[in-house]
Amino acid sequence: MSLNQLLPVAILLVLLQVVKKQSSLQIGSALLIGAVMSFSYMQSASWVSKWFEHQGLEYSQIGLCITIFIAVLAFALKQKLAAFYIAVISTVALYLSHYIIYLTSFWQNSDAGQSLFIGTLLGSGICLSFSVLLYFLMNAIKYRFGMYPLFTLLAFNSAAKLLVALDLASQIDLITNTSTVWDLRDLLSENSELGRVLRALVGYEATPDLMSVLIYSTSSVLFVLLCYVIPASITKERV
Amino acid sequence: MTKRLFNHCLCCLLFLSFNAASKEYLIILKDHLFYPSQIIIPANKKVKLLIENQDSTPEEFDSFDLNREKVLYPNRKSIIYIGPLSKGHYEFFGEFSPNTARGVVIVSDEGAQHANN
Repeated sequence: MSLNQLLPVAILLVLLQVVKKQSSLQIGSALLIGAVMSFSYMQSASWVSKWFEHQGLEYSQIGLCITIFIAVLAFALKQKLAAFYIAVISTVALYLSHYIIYLTSFWQNSDAGQSLFIGTLLGSGICLSFSVLLYFLMNAIKYRFGMYPLFTLLAFNSAAKLLVALDLASQIDLITNTSTVWDLRDLLSENSELGRVLRALVGYEATPDLMSVLIYSTSSVLFVLLCYVIPASITKERV
Repeated sequence: MTKRLFNHCLCCLLFLSFNAASKEYLIILKDHLFYPSQIIIPANKKVKLLIENQDSTPEEFDSFDLNREKVLYPNRKSIIYIGPLSKGHYEFFGEFSPNTARGVVIVSDEGAQHANN
C-alpha cells in the first residue's frame, strides 16, 4: 500500500530535482503543504463525493491529474518555482489521500499498529532507496547525454497521469473504453514488483485500450516536442 | 496552442461518451469479503458494478486487470463501470484487506446468456 502511494510522489520529486535542484526548504514546504491538502481533501471527501451525481471524487481526481501534467510541462519548459509547487502538491494530494484513509481507518479499528508501522517503514525505505538510485542515475545521464533523456522520462511519467485520468473517466462512464490493444499480464503483471515500479515510473499498463495508447503517445510526443521547440529551458540548463 | 489542444481533447472525450443502459451487478463487501466473489459478465459489453460497503471501515476497490481504483466509504454504495472486455479472468481486491477481500470478474459467453435472461 505505502509503496503504491509513495513511489509516484518520490519519482516525480526526483525527476523535478534533476531538472532543476530546489532547496530543502522548498521541497519540505511543498511536501508539507501537499500533506495538509491531502488531509483536507480526505476530510471533505464524503462531501465532494456527492457532487455531480456522486462522481465528485473522480472529477476532482481527473482535475488533479491534468493539473500535474500541465504543471510538470510548465516546469520542464520554464523551471518556475510555482510550477514545481503545483506539481508536487497536486501529486501528494492525489496519491497520499488514499494512504491517509487507510492509516486512519486501520488505526481506529485495528490493534495491529505494529505491523502497520513496520509495513510503512519498509515501504518508505524501499521508496527512499529507489529514489536515491534514480537520482544519481538520472544525474549521470543528464551530465553524459544532456537534458533530453530526462525530458523524455518526465514526458512518460506525466503522460501516465493522463492515463489515470482516462481510467477515472471510464470508471464513471464519462467515456467508453475502447478495445484492448495488447494483453501482457502473463509476461509482466502490473501487480508484480517490477510492474508496480514501471507503473509508477512510466505508467505501465498490461492491458491498455486504444484510447489510452493514443493519449499516452500523443501527450508524450507533445511534451518532448515542446521541450525541443522552446529553447529557453534548454539553454538555461544545458550542461 | 495548449489550450486549443485541450479543448480538442475535451470535445473528443465528450463525443465518445454516451449513456447506454448497462447491465447492473451488485457486490457486497462485508467482514472484508466480497459477495459474490465471482461475477460472470458478457464479453464486449459495458456493465455497471454497484458495490455496497457494509463494513464500518473504508475499503479501496482495486484492480490492475480492470484498471479501476475507488474508495468505498462505509455503509455507502459506489458505482464503477467496467468494459467492454474481451473473454478472460479479471481479478479485483480490496487494497486495505488484500488477503481476504478478493474477487474475480469472468468475462464469457455464459455471461451474455445471464445478461439476456
